[in-house]
Amino acid sequence: MSLPDRIDPRPARRIYRWDLDKTYLQTEFDTVMQLLRTALQKAHEKVAVPGAAALIRELRAQGDTRLCIVSGSPTQMRAVLVEKLKLDGVEFDELVLKDNVRNLLRGRFKALKGQVGYKLPVLLESRASAPSEAEEVLFGDDAEADAFIYSLFADMVARRVGRELVSRVLDEAEVYPDDADRVMDAWERIPHSDPVRRIFIHLDRLTPPAHFARYGPRVVPVFNYFQAALVLAADGHLNAHQVIKVAVEMVQTAGYNLLTLSNSFQDLVRRGLPLQGVALALTQALQGPQALLSALRPVPDIIAAFTKRLAALGAQPEPPAAPAIDYLALLDHARLRKSKREAGA
Amino acid sequence: MQPESSAPEPITIAFDVMGGDHGPEEVVRGAAQLSLETPHLHALLVGDRALIDAALEGTRHSGERIAVHHASQWVEMSEKPSLALAQKPDASISVAARLVAEGEAQALVSAGNTGAGVLACAKHFKLIRGIRRAALAAVYPTQALHGQKQDPFSLILDVGATVDATAEDLVAFSVMGAAYSKIISKNPDPAVALLSNGTEPRKGPPRVVEAHERLSRTPGLRFIGNVEGVDIPKGTADVIACDGFVGNVCLKMLEGIHETVLELARYAYKEKLLWRAGLAMLSSGIERIKQVTDWEQYGGAPILGFDRIFIKAHGRSRARAIANAGKVAAKAVAKDLARSIEQGLPS
Repeated sequence: MSLPDRIDPRPARRIYRWDLDKTYLQTEFDTVMQLLRTALQKAHEKVAVPGAAALIRELRAQGDTRLCIVSGSPTQMRAVLVEKLKLDGVEFDELVLKDNVRNLLRGRFKALKGQVGYKLPVLLESRASAPSEAEEVLFGDDAEADAFIYSLFADMVARRVGRELVSRVLDEAEVYPDDADRVMDAWERIPHSDPVRRIFIHLDRLTPPAHFARYGPRVVPVFNYFQAALVLAADGHLNAHQVIKVAVEMVQTAGYNLLTLSNSFQDLVRRGLPLQGVALALTQALQGPQALLSALRPVPDIIAAFTKRLAALGAQPEPPAAPAIDYLALLDHARLRKSKREAGA
Repeated sequence: MQPESSAPEPITIAFDVMGGDHGPEEVVRGAAQLSLETPHLHALLVGDRALIDAALEGTRHSGERIAVHHASQWVEMSEKPSLALAQKPDASISVAARLVAEGEAQALVSAGNTGAGVLACAKHFKLIRGIRRAALAAVYPTQALHGQKQDPFSLILDVGATVDATAEDLVAFSVMGAAYSKIISKNPDPAVALLSNGTEPRKGPPRVVEAHERLSRTPGLRFIGNVEGVDIPKGTADVIACDGFVGNVCLKMLEGIHETVLELARYAYKEKLLWRAGLAMLSSGIERIKQVTDWEQYGGAPILGFDRIFIKAHGRSRARAIANAGKVAAKAVAKDLARSIEQGLPS
C-alpha cells in the first residue's frame, strides 16, 4: 500500500497570479483579424512567451504554491486554454476567464473592455480565501492596466489605501455598482497583511520601463522572463539552477543567446536592482557539474559576458525610489495603452 | 549559446554616445530605434552611463539588444583630436574603438569629432594588409543614379584622413571605394575614377598620372579614367578617388553650394511675390530633390582601410540617421568589407 505524499497538505506559502494574453501567451488582438485568429487557434497553435512555462514550472517546483490565472479571455476559450497549459506542463489551481456573453446580454458594454471592474474583484475574492500569511507575486503586461490593478490590489490588502479613495477610483474607472460591491465585500473579508512582494510587467509593447516608475520598485517591468527569474532569485523564490533552466528554455526554443541574456541582466542592474548576489550564485551554479549546462557551453564565455556587463557600468546604480502612488492620477496613465502597431513596433 | 535557428548572426554596433551636435539623446534614440527594427542587431552604448540611462528612460527600446559601457570622458567637437585623446584616456570614442578591437562589438558609429574618431581607430584597429593609409569617404548627392538601389549618391574618398596621398594610396582608395560601393550600394560593377584637372591620362600631378597607369592595369576594377570637378555632381563615376586635401576642399564646396542655394531660395521667397509664386509651383519638385538627396538615409560615411568598420555619422545626425549609420555598419560587417577590400587590392 502506498501512502500519499502528504496527508495534511500545508497551506500555500506563495501565490503566483498570472494574466494569460501577452503575459503568458504571445497574443495579438489589436485588429479584428488578429482577434478572430486568436479565437480560432487550437491549443497547439498557441505560443507561450519564451521562458514563461519554464518559469512557472520552476516556481511550482518550490512546493506549497498556488498558481492563480485571471485572464480577460472569454469563458468560451476555457477548453483550449486548459489544453494549452497542459501541453506546456503548467498546472494551475485557479483559472478565471471573462464572461463577456453575459456582459453583452446584460447590456454591460463598458464591462466588455473594462479591466478594473473585472480583475480587481476576482483578485480580492481569491485573496479572501487564501491563507493570510501567503506571499504573492503577480505577473501582467503593458498592454492593459495590469500594473495599476495589481498595485491597487496590493495596497488594498495591506490597507495602505482607504475606502474613500477606492470608491473614487472605482467610480472614475466606471466600474458597475455590483462589481464595486464585490470589491468592497471581498476587501472586508481579507485579513490585514502585506503579502504582495513583486509585480512583474511583461513589456509586450516595449513600453519604456521608466513608464512604470510611478508604481514604485515593487513593480518590475521585464523584457523577458529571464529577467523575472533573476529578480525572483534575488527575492529567494528561485535558486540559481532554476534560473538557468529558464534561460535554457529560452535559448533552445526562442533563439535567445549570450548577448540577449547578458544585456537583459545588465538592463536590470542599471535600473538599480540588486543582482550581484544572484550573479555570484549563477557563476557557482554554472561551474558545477550539471547535465543541463551542456546547452549553455562554453561556461567561461557565459561567466565572462555577465561579468563584463557588470563591470562596464562602473559604480553600482542607486536602487529605485519608492514614491507614494497617486491612484487617481495613475488611472488615466494606465488607460493610455497603445496598440503594438500604434506604438511603432 | 547560439540560437538554434537560421536567423542571421548577431552583430553588435558600438555607438559613441557622447559625440554629435544634438547630444547623447539623439544617438541613444537612434540606437533604440535600431534595437526595435532589426532583431539581430545589438547596440553597445559607450558614454556617460547616467546620461545614457536618462535618455533611454523615455525611449521605446529592446532591453535585450542594448548594453551600456560607461566612459567618464568625451571629446568635444571643438577640441584638437590628438591633444584631447592624450588628455582623456577614458574618452568615449577611445573606449568604443577599444571595445570593437577587443571583439565586444563588430563596428563603431560616431557622430562626434571626426579627427578623434580616426585617431582612435588608428590606435586600436589594424590597417588591412596592403593598405598604407586609411581614407575617410563621403557620400554626396548626384544627378545620375547608381547601383541596384538606384542611389542618387556617389562616394568620394579621401576627404580628409590622408592629406598627401601617393599613387599607391590612390589605387588603394579606389579599391576600397569600389568594395564599399559593391556592398553598400549593391552596385556589382561600380565605375571608379580619379579626380584630376583633365580627363586625359597624362593630366594632373605625377602621383595622379602614376595612379592612372596602375589603375588601368588593376584587375576586377572598372576604372573609367580621370574625371574633372564638373563630373562630381553629375555622378559620372560611382567612386571618385583623390587625396585628402583635394577631397576635403571638394566636399566643403559641395556643402557650401547646397547651403547657398537654399539661402538664395529663402531670399527669393521673401523678396518678390512673383519669385515666391515660382518657388511654390516648384515646391513638389524641390521636395522630391530633398527626399532623394536626404543624407540622413545614409547616416554616415565610412573610414576605410582598417580591419574594423567605423562609420562616421554627420555631426548633425538625428536618431534616424544614427539608426541608418548602424545599419550600414552592420551590412559592412555582415558582408566582410575588410576582406573584400583585401581581395580587391593588386598583388
